[in-house]
Amino acid sequence: MSPETIAQIALTGLTVGAMYALATIGLSLIWGSLGMLNMAHGVLLTIGGYSAYAAVSVAGLPWPMGIVAALLFGALIGLLLYFGVVRWMVGTANFETNIIIASFGVAIALENSVLQIFGGQPFGQPLVMRGAVDAGLVSIPYQNIIIVVGSAGLMLVASYVMQQTRLGRAIRAVSQQRDAAGLMGVPVQRIFLVVLVFSGMLSAISGVMLTSSTQLAPALGQDPMIKAFIMCVVAGLGHIGGAVAMAFALAMIEAASQFWFGARWGFPILLTLVILVLIVRPAGLFGRVSITRL
Amino acid sequence: MTEAPPNGNAGGLKVTDIVGGYGNQPVLHGLSLDVDPGTLVSVIGPNGHGKTTLLRAISGQVHLRSGHVFLNGVDLSGRTVDAITAAGIAHVPQGDLLFAGMTVYENLLMGAYLVRDRTLLQSRLDQVFALLPKLAERRNQITDSLSGGERRMVGIGRGLMTGGQVLMLDEPSLGLAPIVIDTIYELVEKLKADGRSILLVEESPERVVDFADRIYLLDNGEINWSGTAAELSANDELLSTYLGV
Repeated sequence: MSPETIAQIALTGLTVGAMYALATIGLSLIWGSLGMLNMAHGVLLTIGGYSAYAAVSVAGLPWPMGIVAALLFGALIGLLLYFGVVRWMVGTANFETNIIIASFGVAIALENSVLQIFGGQPFGQPLVMRGAVDAGLVSIPYQNIIIVVGSAGLMLVASYVMQQTRLGRAIRAVSQQRDAAGLMGVPVQRIFLVVLVFSGMLSAISGVMLTSSTQLAPALGQDPMIKAFIMCVVAGLGHIGGAVAMAFALAMIEAASQFWFGARWGFPILLTLVILVLIVRPAGLFGRVSITRL
Repeated sequence: MTEAPPNGNAGGLKVTDIVGGYGNQPVLHGLSLDVDPGTLVSVIGPNGHGKTTLLRAISGQVHLRSGHVFLNGVDLSGRTVDAITAAGIAHVPQGDLLFAGMTVYENLLMGAYLVRDRTLLQSRLDQVFALLPKLAERRNQITDSLSGGERRMVGIGRGLMTGGQVLMLDEPSLGLAPIVIDTIYELVEKLKADGRSILLVEESPERVVDFADRIYLLDNGEINWSGTAAELSANDELLSTYLGV
């Protein structure tokens, strides 16, 4: 295998991994703090992509407004999820299963709204940077650089918020021990709202990046959402750092197997590996089986 | 900035005729009690008779169907859990419920979540570390790796960090070895000596009878008897029939 091949695989793996990682954070954050498998996650990616398109290509606004629009609509969907669904269901019996169905309902409604407004034909994402830089072994498109740097930046922001701020401590407290968090004076409901809005914004931005290398279509979020689920499960649900590491590792493996065995084998090989990992470690690679002791 | 002493406010905690529980099944059937400022009041009763539910009702985790909870004359009933904490109720829950992935220090910081003033935060931290020097030693350890007794101390320390005027302790002896229970009870006595108002729930009276100012016996969600520790000790009939001593 030539060094060029390895460099090409690494480049693809890194770029795709960065997008997966960003998409995974939102999912992992919501799972961790609410115990909610957010089936509307994919449609958040879709809406992020379409908001940028609508702001720049349709409304003719300058390109930074595309990012602003994505953030705005991501936040809006977060609000919608909270006030429309989560607020009424959280704390009720069987929340974890019921919320899957409820958020799936929201996802279907939103995806079909996108279809209704924009139609089914694919569009190109306006926020694309053409050109490439020659790096010796491979030529690296500017777009890939933007995706990797942008994702890394957003992940740093997310990790700073989670580890260093009062809000992050409150979010972690709610995920680790909801009852006790309340007793410490954390407004648990408001934290749920903040997490949904924050994850919505992160996911919408990752939708913009994702569509900058593919196309806009109403169902575009579904495949990345499934991959994000896989990464969260392999890492151990709720373990954000692990999910990010998994995103990069699995994207590399996917890129390598696509290169050696052809594009159609990437996903099956990924799934096989995931199943093997879960047989050996059912709680995920970084997940801990929770132990309670008196 | 200095804080008012924990017993500085007159009034204390007053619970009147509360009815509440889970679903349609009330656990508390019209229960009243008082914790006067600077006193230690203990609620004793067998398991499954509503002691934990009583504390959860006071801190807002269990919905009250009727009745009121007053702190210093202010009606707290119907408020959310975080608002009740902010008003001055510090509830150290049964089984500690620590933030397992956080260090001892982070757990204590969470206790002071509502404190924005750094000097105040530091002074509370100093107080807790002075009271529980073990926690200072272990401050950077993840709480999951601590012993049961140390975890209990983190739970109590975290409760103290909230700065609540009334400290509610739910079975601080639960699941601990007798020698560790002694340590924990030395701490409770120290807290009482500091003049704090404490509502202490226990299954058996032997630990509290020596130093509780007032004892309530809880049976099936109702207060069966209340009086001073001396009155309880003197009442042979009550001790033998009700408590099987």
